[in-house]
Amino acid sequence: MKEGLVSFKGIKEGIYIYIKDGDFQDILDELEEKLKDSLDFYKEANFLGIKAENLKQSQIIELLYLMKYRYDLHIANEGLLEHMEISEYYTGIKEGMTKFIHSTIRSGQVIEYDGNIVIIGDVNPGALIKAKGNIIILGTIRGVAHAGIDGNKDAIVAAYDLRPTQLRIANIIGRKPDEETLTSGIPEVAKIKDGEVYIEPYLPNK
Amino acid sequence: MGKAIVITSGKGGVGKTTATANIGTGLAVLGNKVVVVDTDIGLRNLDVVMGLENRIVYDIVDVVEKTCRLKQGLIRDKRYEGLFLLPAAQTKDKTAIKPEQMLELVNQLKEEFDYIIIDSPAGIEQGFQNSIAGADEAYIVTTPEIAAVRDADRVIGLLEANGINSPKLIINRIRQDMVKRGDMMNVEDIVDILAIELLGIVPDDEAIVISTNKGEPVVAEDNPLSAKAFKNICRRILGEEVDLLNLENDEGKFSKLIKLLFSK
Repeated sequence: MKEGLVSFKGIKEGIYIYIKDGDFQDILDELEEKLKDSLDFYKEANFLGIKAENLKQSQIIELLYLMKYRYDLHIANEGLLEHMEISEYYTGIKEGMTKFIHSTIRSGQVIEYDGNIVIIGDVNPGALIKAKGNIIILGTIRGVAHAGIDGNKDAIVAAYDLRPTQLRIANIIGRKPDEETLTSGIPEVAKIKDGEVYIEPYLPNK
Repeated sequence: MGKAIVITSGKGGVGKTTATANIGTGLAVLGNKVVVVDTDIGLRNLDVVMGLENRIVYDIVDVVEKTCRLKQGLIRDKRYEGLFLLPAAQTKDKTAIKPEQMLELVNQLKEEFDYIIIDSPAGIEQGFQNSIAGADEAYIVTTPEIAAVRDADRVIGLLEANGINSPKLIINRIRQDMVKRGDMMNVEDIVDILAIELLGIVPDDEAIVISTNKGEPVVAEDNPLSAKAFKNICRRILGEEVDLLNLENDEGKFSKLIKLLFSK
């Protein structure tokens, strides 16, 4: 195991955790070891955030959860936010890895993929589709779709018949209205506009 | 400190979820702070019956695993103040929660709500054990069928073994015309076998099917007989003395008069 991946640097306001590029499991192990060594000291400390050379946002969140729930350590909210914004999200929504599924997705089933998802079939109520990129359904979606799960607000959800229980893009959630609504009868595309999930009919000439 | 009530039956399809939704809503309409909890992980329905499916972001598993705070997991009802839903997870199974976690959760809820109504899954396995873990009282739902009554009897025994004594009985889906013809068990027969206190009787009613599909519990309506039945149940839970519902609504005024004359 390579040592020296994790270091703590104190400034007047508190402590930053610096993480060098390396294997994530090694980073986890080293962080845990260092925390365990002087847990009492760190419990009193004010953590400002994590600065990592090359970690994905999901990995940083895993580190934060580890600190918070296993060691009950406090991390300042500002530090967290600051880092979330600079961390990378999946950008392959124009051109990227895509998973194709040829079947009906039923209640209780979850399809998760670190890229785009295309479903050739229906998505029934109670099913959940989670993609880092776009979600395209060549059928009816009545379940829940979450595109851009790691933060890409430009991700879209498109379906031949779009009537989901809930639509999520990045961290924005839109839900089906309570009263029955008429669908346009043509394929529709959902995207974020002005901080809300917006559904528009698919018009080929636009 | 609130009271936790589990609604259970052993057998599936007798109306646990419908009863939970209606009792929860009914108690909230009467001014109580209520949370209905769905413990049927993997086959959740309570959210659909309450018409709140489209609001679910977190669920009971997220709450016990502390992925989210309890407050974030609770869904505020769209119509009634003081009514909340804690939905089950759909993509996990019953083993996602342990009875100890359930007990802790219910105790937390009791600090904030007057009534915690817990919808139990069918069966007597882990899901059932979870659902009764934090309960102070139990209401048994049965229908006038031998199989349902048999299962209810089994569940009453299990509840007693788990320290939940004197459960109360709700007999659902009674068809008075069939009872009259002698084709269906009557209320007395069932109470006789199960030997527990009767909390209420609910007639078989089309209005239930309609309201369930709409996601608006029937108890909030004025006219249906089933709504009256659930209102009565709620008032009895609050300690009022309410007579059992007269299910013979189809009777004409004339025959009622004759009956009255002859009964004197």
